[in-house]
Amino acid sequence: MLEMRDIRKAYATPQGPLPVLDGVDLSLAAGASLALMGESGSGKSTLLHLAAGLDTADSGEITLDGQRLSTASEPARAALRRTRLGLVFQQFHLVPSLSVADNLTLQARLAGRETPDWSQELLTRLGLAEMADRYPEQLSGGQQQRLAIGRALAGRPALLLADEPTGNLDEASAETVLTLLLELVRDSGCALLMVTHSARVASRLERRLTLSHGRLLAEEAR
Amino acid sequence: MTERGAPRLVPHLAMARTALVTLLSHYRRHPGQLAMLLVGLWVASALWSGVQAINASARDSYARAEALLSPSLERRDGAPLSYADFTTLRRAGLAVSPLVEGTIELNDGQRLNVLGIEPLSLPAGGIGEDRSAGNDGEDGANPLGLLQPPGQTRLAPETLATLNASPGERLVGAGGERLPPLVIDAQLPPGTLMMDITRAADLLERGPRIDTLLLAAGSQTALPAAYRPTPAAQGLSPGQLTESFHLNLTAMGLLALVVGLLIVHAALGLALEQRLGLLRTLRALGVPGRTLVGLLAIELVLLGLAGTLPGILAGLWLASVLLPDVAASLEALFSASVGASLSLPWHFWAGSLAITLGGLATAGLGMLWRTARLDILALGHAQPSRADGRRRYRRQAGLAALTWLAALGLWLWPTPAGTPSLIAGFAMVALALAGSALGLSVLLGAVLEGLKRGLPGNSPRTALIRWALADLQLQLPRLQLAMMALLLALATNLGVAGMVGGFRLTFLDWLDQRLVADLYLRPPPAAYDSWRDWLETRPEIATLLERRETDTRLIRAEGERPVALQGISPDPALTASWPLLATLNADRAAAWQSLREGAALINEQLAIATGLAPGDMLTLASPTGPFTTQVAGIYPDYGNPRGEVTLTVERLSQRFAAKPGSMGLVLTPGLAAADEAALRQRLTRPLPEAGEAPAPSLIDQRSLHRQARQVFERTFAVTRALTGLTLGVAALALFTGLLAQARERRARLAPLWALGLGRTTLLGVTLAQLGGLALATALLALPLGVALNWALVAEINVAAFGWRLPLHVFPAAWVQALGLAVLVALLAAALPAWRLWRAPPRQLLEEFSAS
Repeated sequence: MLEMRDIRKAYATPQGPLPVLDGVDLSLAAGASLALMGESGSGKSTLLHLAAGLDTADSGEITLDGQRLSTASEPARAALRRTRLGLVFQQFHLVPSLSVADNLTLQARLAGRETPDWSQELLTRLGLAEMADRYPEQLSGGQQQRLAIGRALAGRPALLLADEPTGNLDEASAETVLTLLLELVRDSGCALLMVTHSARVASRLERRLTLSHGRLLAEEAR
Repeated sequence: MTERGAPRLVPHLAMARTALVTLLSHYRRHPGQLAMLLVGLWVASALWSGVQAINASARDSYARAEALLSPSLERRDGAPLSYADFTTLRRAGLAVSPLVEGTIELNDGQRLNVLGIEPLSLPAGGIGEDRSAGNDGEDGANPLGLLQPPGQTRLAPETLATLNASPGERLVGAGGERLPPLVIDAQLPPGTLMMDITRAADLLERGPRIDTLLLAAGSQTALPAAYRPTPAAQGLSPGQLTESFHLNLTAMGLLALVVGLLIVHAALGLALEQRLGLLRTLRALGVPGRTLVGLLAIELVLLGLAGTLPGILAGLWLASVLLPDVAASLEALFSASVGASLSLPWHFWAGSLAITLGGLATAGLGMLWRTARLDILALGHAQPSRADGRRRYRRQAGLAALTWLAALGLWLWPTPAGTPSLIAGFAMVALALAGSALGLSVLLGAVLEGLKRGLPGNSPRTALIRWALADLQLQLPRLQLAMMALLLALATNLGVAGMVGGFRLTFLDWLDQRLVADLYLRPPPAAYDSWRDWLETRPEIATLLERRETDTRLIRAEGERPVALQGISPDPALTASWPLLATLNADRAAAWQSLREGAALINEQLAIATGLAPGDMLTLASPTGPFTTQVAGIYPDYGNPRGEVTLTVERLSQRFAAKPGSMGLVLTPGLAAADEAALRQRLTRPLPEAGEAPAPSLIDQRSLHRQARQVFERTFAVTRALTGLTLGVAALALFTGLLAQARERRARLAPLWALGLGRTTLLGVTLAQLGGLALATALLALPLGVALNWALVAEINVAAFGWRLPLHVFPAAWVQALGLAVLVALLAAALPAWRLWRAPPRQLLEEFSAS
């Protein structure tokens, strides 16, 4: 599903290039789940952005579903994100001017993959069916993140990339959101790559990798 | 479309559609922004297309007038043309046709141009072209209709409407003569009656003289040596004469367009800023950057059409309201007849749409550029950093300085003597206004920073003021475009009000100096001498001031130019007050003495256009050969679009065969009211000594004053309307700008409320912030307004009309502008402030939590 080989990435700073990823190799099979852990600034989010085609690596090769991201054009990477990926961010990034129902189906519609039954099921399972006509600002933080998860899964992506999806939530909401996320990922059959600080959250996923100073440490199996 | 491409298109279209709907959904949640955009576009296109509709209608009238009279011939010796010339030229094989023209007065006092044509010899391709097609319908297309009794009086539909007459009706002249029945002819310019030459010559008492010989276009037959084609500049066409007037209108329309587009720019900037997060989310969800730019461009077009089309319709309404005043001004100033109803060619619609959409595209270019360069990874960082703001201010300050330098460069750029360029003048003003607008927020920001730093102490009041100043600094980027609009509108108002006010003072003074007679009499030409002889015997009249006029050409080494020629009686009653701008050795008495001895005075327009100065020699074409004389002085001649040479009336009669004109009657001092009334009565009846000649027309000085003032007021009615509307647009910009960010303002004020400040205090702070900002903007607009006033009177007026006005400043207008600015700001702030004041505590609490 996702293959990353010898990925290197540095950011330009006034003091010179700052290496963030230094020869990272990572692979994720279809339907598998992987937690990516590490200190702040260890390069987790950068790795996620590279996997999503939001950024490009300085060197190395990234293949998603057999397609080489490293050499793909911007429109091709956009098309891949639209049709094969689901993204969940810590800050939700919902569209304030669209209703809950429209936010949920947004990516699926953009990709031309909307399935009304699946959307309705997602709304119900996420506990948002009664709020379909509301706007994001009228939801609690937990509800907003559930909606963001629904939006990411509505198009039935092959890979879900989640960046600290529970980082902005209280403990109870975080637990609910995480349980739902894992359930839905399992039921939809997509792979999951999640960036998290939390060992407790990471322990719920099949595999755990830790990034430190731009390099992957040994993998811990669950 | 390739076979491979076709199946891909459908999902792409679906994606584009969904993304577009998502982008547009922003306006559903922010209707204030949508309203601001549409109102900006609506107002900009309304004012611009209104002005263009006026210009297009006037130009259509000019085109119809010009189509009537070209090309034509004249005698080389300058003698008037007669039927003998017509016969000579026809015999020589030239397809010429005689034409007489003049003005008649109807029994209701209306004056109209009369054209007398000879339908059978009229060249094809001119005024008779589609009349010779055998169409003898109601529009009078049959040329024989003019000849067959009772003949025809053809006129444009607008003229018929103005006269409140109907086809077939017969107009009656001031002397009781009946004109042939009216027939509509849409090709004629407004204010013109066309008829057979014999009827016209009778009406105009023209005798055997004809005014022009029209020549068939493309005629290959050589002209006899005694004739030549009328030079193109002979008797400037209405289009040429009024060019400056229309350029001024266009400049005003352009200013309104710019101010309107500032609103649009502000709204687009706000819409983009608030949608940065959305744009990045869409990019993250797989919408390519190029698609997003394309979709925003589509959004711009949709908004453009939604705002511009009703704007153009509103512009048409505005034009129909203003056109009668414009038509009256053009008639009075340039004798150019313009229909009082709109007549718009197709390119008006296309042009109005293109200019407004082009302006929108320019305003939206920044939005598209920022979208194209959007940093997809900076998700959530919608606000530009403080360092970004500082960099932008520095760039803006640099650009403002460069723009001002360019304006100064244009001012100092040497132009050939006596030929100031109108375009350069407008460019200078535009650059100065743009430079000031660009520098405004930099200056305001610096003032706020200075005030903040200079605040002494740490009392609660000081803390609040310091917060208010800092908050205003934060608001400045959002409000700067509205403030720019306010600055431009105020400066233009001050500049134009100063120019118009100064012109009024100068013009009325000048009118007093020139209109020294108590009564002005214009006898029928045939009875002129009899009236003069009779008046010279009357004890009620102390001085008789004769005036005649004609046209000729000024002969110079670089070519000939047409000039008006007038003859006056240099009596001390007239010369004592007649203003002179320059004389030889600054000796007024000597200049008048020189005039009496045969020298000439010239008007300021001619002096500026030709560089002629007192002491120079000038040569005029006259029927008896070139006439050379010295320039004794230069006089101001406001309102006259043409160069003019003044001689004594005797000299004019002898050398130029000038037609009889008018007489000014200075009444004997101490004349009893009854005697004056009896004299007035007598002057309205025919003179028995003059045979059957009708009564002269009589007008008194007060009526002339009133008429001149009316012309003046009507001339500037449009200017005042446009500057007033521009100020209204600026107020709207401020209002919509405040409304659009009202929600965010509340979010910023909510913490203060939570910290214990009452809503009334917050309301006061908000109003004080806006009022203060507007006051500071108005204070900066004052010097800019004076500079604009100076540029208008000393540069643009000279280039446009050929005369210079003294600079007058009106401190009362400054105070009014300051008050107006504060009032506009307070009115604009009133609704958002009212909403804040009415906001329930729960809402403020929610906004506090959100903030």
